[in-house]
Parts: sequence; structure tokens; C-alpha cells
Amino acid sequence: MDLDYDTLVAFSKSWGLFYLMGFFLCVVVYAFWPSNRKHFTRAKTSILDQDDKPWR
Amino acid sequence: MPELFHRKLERSAIGFVLAIIAAASVGGIVEIAPLFTIDETVEEAPDMRVYTPLELAGRNIYVREGCYACHSQMIRTLRDEVERYGPYSLAVESKYDRPMLWGSKRTGPDLARIGGKYSDAWHVAHLINPRDVVPESNMPAYGFLGRTALRTDELADHLRVQKTLGVPYTDEMVENAARDAYGQAAPDSDFAAGVTERYGDATEMSAFDGVATQLTEMDALVAYLQVLGRLTEAAYQNTVAPQEAPDPND
Amino acid sequence: MIAKLTSSERQTAVVIVLLVAIAGIAMAAAGRNAPLGVHGLVVILFAGALLYSLLSAFYAPEPTEEREESYYDDPIKVGIVLAMAWALFGMFMGVWIAAQLAWPNLVFDAAWSTFGRLRPTHTTGVIFGFGGNALIATSFHVVQRTSRARLAGQISPWFVLFGFNLFCVLAVSGYLIGITQSKEYAEPEWYADLWLVVVWVTYFLLYIRTLARRKEPHIYVANWYFMAFILVVAILHIVNNLALPISWGSAKSYTIWPGVQDAMVQWWYGHNAVAFFLTAGFLGMLYYYLPVRAGRPIFSYRLSILSFWGITFFYMWAGSHHLHYTALPQWVQTLGMTFSVMLLVPSWASAGNALLTLNGAWHKVRDDATLRFMMAAAVFYGISTFEGSFLAIRPVNALSHYTDWTVGHVHAGALGWVALISFGSIYTLVPSLWKRERMYSPALIEWHFWLAIAGTLVYVFAMWNSGILQGLMWRTYTEEGSLAYSFLDTLVAMYPYYIARTLGGFLFFAGTAIGCYNIWMTIRLVPATVVSEADLPATRAAPAGE
Repeated sequence: MDLDYDTLVAFSKSWGLFYLMGFFLCVVVYAFWPSNRKHFTRAKTSILDQDDKPWR
Repeated sequence: MPELFHRKLERSAIGFVLAIIAAASVGGIVEIAPLFTIDETVEEAPDMRVYTPLELAGRNIYVREGCYACHSQMIRTLRDEVERYGPYSLAVESKYDRPMLWGSKRTGPDLARIGGKYSDAWHVAHLINPRDVVPESNMPAYGFLGRTALRTDELADHLRVQKTLGVPYTDEMVENAARDAYGQAAPDSDFAAGVTERYGDATEMSAFDGVATQLTEMDALVAYLQVLGRLTEAAYQNTVAPQEAPDPND
Repeated sequence: MIAKLTSSERQTAVVIVLLVAIAGIAMAAAGRNAPLGVHGLVVILFAGALLYSLLSAFYAPEPTEEREESYYDDPIKVGIVLAMAWALFGMFMGVWIAAQLAWPNLVFDAAWSTFGRLRPTHTTGVIFGFGGNALIATSFHVVQRTSRARLAGQISPWFVLFGFNLFCVLAVSGYLIGITQSKEYAEPEWYADLWLVVVWVTYFLLYIRTLARRKEPHIYVANWYFMAFILVVAILHIVNNLALPISWGSAKSYTIWPGVQDAMVQWWYGHNAVAFFLTAGFLGMLYYYLPVRAGRPIFSYRLSILSFWGITFFYMWAGSHHLHYTALPQWVQTLGMTFSVMLLVPSWASAGNALLTLNGAWHKVRDDATLRFMMAAAVFYGISTFEGSFLAIRPVNALSHYTDWTVGHVHAGALGWVALISFGSIYTLVPSLWKRERMYSPALIEWHFWLAIAGTLVYVFAMWNSGILQGLMWRTYTEEGSLAYSFLDTLVAMYPYYIARTLGGFLFFAGTAIGCYNIWMTIRLVPATVVSEADLPATRAAPAGE
């Protein structure tokens, strides 16, 4: 292991940032993907059902 | 079909778990991983000595009583702190500290360099009842320390584990742990010579609570307080000047 | 308690409790007179009490109905009662130690009653005892309702609940007899930490297996927050508590992290305990109970997703802002500061999302104190996250660090956000769980609300004043260029604020006591609702995707 302190710091400062941006992109794509809209609409209204039994 | 459907659902739950781990672990790894190689950048302190068994026992009393809740041991690199408490703390100074006791709150003053500033007698009186010495103090009284005998039978175990974790205690130090604890608080006894031999001439030998015949928790805690900031001289040499406190009007 | 268990499950439960008791006996034998031995006794007593309640109902009739036809609510009920009991204990300790700072002689002449030992009983009591039990109970409720599936286990929910409470009891009793690692918010020693790992893994498996049984295709966002809470707390807990005991017969251990690494690991843990214990889990409550109580869906589901990933990602980087101007390398401090400021975006997105959900339901907020609890919680969440980002900026931190400002910030979050959202959720939950038509007294909920708000404000304002004042006094110079005030001068200036803070804490505590009474009377006295046909599933549409 010839990882020294400066290499690790440089790695953290560069790849950490790329990772952050990539992650952000994935999340935005997921949140705004058109076919997910109906799942989201259903999820947010279905918790308001007056229903107190598990579904079989 | 329902079978397949079910499996797909399960997969999405597990995928979700993995995504959380991926998102959450990176920050920690990126910040903490480089610190394992920090030895390369930390200041050198060849003169640094380890805690004696008595000082370590005192440190464990400090830990047990939760003193860190009100006293920090970390002087920041700000001018007013340096003028109030002494040279700012270096990373190397806590390299044997498990756990570190940097603290997060100063209901009482910082203790990083309290060692040697007050006499043993002052510390003992102050711990027995802080308001006898400092009338405005709101610190609890720790009189029970002087009434409690120090447990020395486990000290060798303490040193052995510290040694396993990388603190440079020698086998001889481990073997003599209990004896050295007595010796440090009884400077006139036969045990005293071994302490200076193993831990150096700078070790403070004293009947800390004023009674050399009995080893109490008070002895240990005062021994620890008196060594705070004095394990190495590194902080007094070659360090850059502290920063001015930022002006809020800037 | 075990009426819903079959006889073979009851046997398994007895075996588990016996195993715990044996572990307790082993601890007592190994520790003898030392603190570990005392803890062995505590474990034996805890297991004994459970064993007694198990055996006394052992031969009660087995459940006859099909259990999968109903949700598993018994552990939730016990969890809520335990949460309120811990709230009373933890907040009482808080008031006591606050008073000790103003009147230092409010102690007994014994080691256990000093500030240093009592302070962690307060923090553990409220964070883990009250907060933890409230999280476990509400997460069991939310995961079942949003998945429309019963919990995936009969014994494991009880194991998680009582196992966690055993951890809390070990923690709090340990501080009193001098067992602590002195790692802030991670004080319990190695054996309690190991036990918590077992409990937590069970909790995780139970939760993910219940999610896997869900009948809804999409996992509702509240579960995301609970899931992140469970997962990340496990990671944090394990990494921060890695330690070597000095022997198997001793409670004392040494952490494997020395000095500066320990500091970074500790505040990575400490800050993310705030993020994932005190924020993520309670946001899970917010995203379920607030819409349900208001009768309106969450304002923007997409926003809740974006802020979820924002919080999960950013928080992990922010811990080092606890170590500004210390011996930690400067780049780590800067990174921590940057991410702390960025955190404001997802945090305010969550708070805004909650408040916008209430748009159109403000008349309900006016009339319903329970909903108002949750509204106020969202507001305090917004305020304290802003304050948090602000305090993470290095020059600001230079002033605020080590002072009461930090304490005030923590309490703005803990009282104003965590406790208020918990009370709102619990007041929503209690009538529906116990099948009561309403709470015993709406007027007492109003009292609780206003006492809580008044207490929080008094407390936070006192700490803002004392913190900023002390921070400024520490750095004031005279004309001649020397420090103007001794440390003692600055302490003397704190006394009026310490008295005010004790008063604020007491008001909050009084509100909690009223809440406990109200909940107790609801369970005991309020008539049950008549189950009508309308309560049966109305929208039994097949889930999409089938």
C-alpha cells in the first residue's frame, strides 16, 4: 500500500465531487421520469384511505 | 405470476437499501479514510511520553465522571484562546488518547494545559468543594474521590490493552503497573525509583492528596490534571501564529 | 401482551428471555462486585420481569382469528407508553441538571448525582428512550399501513422493542454507577453496544421483510426515511463503538480510535446521529402523520424524494464542522462547512413541503392542537436547520463553539422539532390504535401545546443570549490589548440565563406530564368507537402492476 495522505486527499476532492453530481443526476431522473408519475400520485393519496386492515 | 411479482418487489426493497448505503457511506469514507494516513502530516514529537499508570487511572476517572461535558481539552487556533489557555492544541498531543476528550462545551474553562498551573493542594481543595476556593463556581463537589481507594489490580490489563492498540508501553511497564501507581504517589517509598526509571525524570512524583500512605481516586485524578498539556513540548516550538478572531463586522 | 402468540411462539419467547437471563448471570459472575456485576443483575431483573409476564399468560387461550386479517398493533401500543414514560424521566433529569448549573448544591453527597453522571441520563433518556421508542412504535405503524401488510414476524417486534429498552436501561443505570465511554451520545460500554447491534439487525430484517410483503407497488416515502434511519444508525453505531475491553470481566474498554481519528469518527457519528436518528426517522413521521391528520396528500411527492436523497447524501459530510479551528486538518473542516451549508436546501425543501401541504387546511391548524403540534414542528425544523448551517460557517463557529449557543441550537431542534412532531404523531395515533373515538381532553392537548411552545422559546432565547454573550466576552480585549474578562467573569454573567433555562425546561416538562395524563385517561376512560361497515377497505382496487 503506497497510498499516502496527499493521494487520498486528492482522490477525495475529485472523485467525491463527481460521485455527488452523478448521484444527483440519477435522483433527478428518477423523480421526474414520466412513467413514475402515476406511482407517486397513487402513493401520496393512498395513505389517506380510511382502511384499517392488511390487504390479502 | 404473483410469485414473480413478489420477487420483483423484494428486489426493489433491497436495491433501495443498497442505494441508501451508497449515498450515505461516501461522505464518511472520503473524510475519514485520509485520516488514517495522517501520521505523515502530523507534527513530530519525539519527546512525547506516555501516561503513567496513575495518570491513566486518573484519566479514566475523568472519563467516568463525564468531565468532558463541561471542560474541553482543545485550544483552538484563535488568538484569544491562545492568550487565555496557552499554545493551541496539536494533533500529536492527543495521539495516545482513547477516547479523545476534546469536548464540545465550556461551562468551565479549557483544561488542555491546566497541568502545573495550580498546586496539588489547590486541586484537592477545589475538587472537595469548588466553592471553598472559587465562590462563584457552579462545579459539583467531588469529595467522594478522596474517600474512595483507587483500584490498582486491573491497571496491568489497562496498559496491556493500550499496548495492543499501539501505545508504546513496554512489557516492563505493564508488569509493574500497580507498583508504579503506588510509587508515583509515594515519592519516599521504595517503589518511586522505578517510576522515574520507566517514565522519565520529568514525571511528577508527589503525594497528590497530601497522604502518601493511601492511594485514592483523588491522587489519580490530580496526577492526571497535573500532566495535562505536559506530555510533550511540541506545542511550544515552531508553530505558526494563531489567527485573529474573525471580526463580526467584516 | 402475548395473547396474539401461538403456544409454540410463546415457548420460543420464553427461550429467548431465558437466554438473556443466562447472559445476565454470566455478566454477574464475571463482574462480581465491579460495575459489570451490577449490570448482570440489571439484566437478570429485566429478563425476570419479562419472564413473569410471559409465564403468567402462558396458558391463556391461543388466538383463534386469522392473524393476517389484522395489523399487529400490540407492540406499537407498548412502544408509545414506553416512549412517554422515558419522556417524563429524561425531561425531569434535564430540568434537574439545568437547575444544578444555576444552583450547584442541588446534589446529594454521592457520586451518582453529579452533573457529569446525570447529564448523559438526560441525553440518553430523551434521545434514545423517548425518541427511540417513538420511532420504533411509529415505524411499525407506518410500515404496516403504507404497505397494507402485517408485520413480518410475531416475536421479533417484541424483541426489538424490549431489546432496545434493555439497552436504554443498561445505558442510564450505567452512567449512575460510573460506566461510560465518555463519547458524546455513544456513552454505553461495549457489551451494551454489542447487544444493540443484535437488536438493530433484527429491527432491520423485520422492517425489510415487512416491506417485501407489501401490497402497494411503490414504497411510500415515509418508509424511506425510516429505512435510512435504521441502516445508517447501524453503520454509525458499529464504526464509532469499535473497542477492546480490558478483560471479559470488566465493563471498561478502550476505543480503537486514537486522538484526532477518534475526534473525526466521533463527530461523524455524533452529527449523523442527529441526521439519521433525530431527523430522518422523524421526517418519516412527518411525511405520514401530517398528511393523514390534515386529510390532504403531501404537497409535492417529487420534492420529498429529492430532499430525501439530499439529506442522505449531504449529512454524512457535515460532521467535521464540530471541529473548526481544532487540530483536525483544515481541508476536512472546509469540506464539512461546505456541505453543512448545502444541507440547507434539502432541509428547507422538507420543511416547506410540510407547510405547503397545510395550505388550504389552515382552519384545521387553528382548531386542532394535534395538527398544530406538527405544523410548529415543521417551522422549528426549518429554523433549526437554518441555524445549523449558519453555525457551521467557520467564523460564526469561532464565536458559538463551546458556548450555550450550541446547546440552544440542539434544543431548538430537540424540543421544537423532535418532541413536537412526536407528540403530534402520538396524539394522532393513540385514539386510532386503542380504537377510541377521540382523545380524553382536547383542552389538555391545547395546554400541552402552549406549555411546549412557551418552554421551547424561553429555553432557546435564554441560550442564545448566554451563548453569544459568553462568546463575545471570551474574546473582548481591553484598550491595552489584554483579555478583558477572566473565565470566571463570564461564568458569573451566565447565572440569570441558567435560571431562565431551568424555567423553560420545566414548562416543557409540565406539558409532557399533562400529555402523559391525557394519554393515560384516553386509554382508560374514553369509550371505544363502534366499528362500522365504513371502516372496511373502501378502495380495494388491485394494485397496479398485477
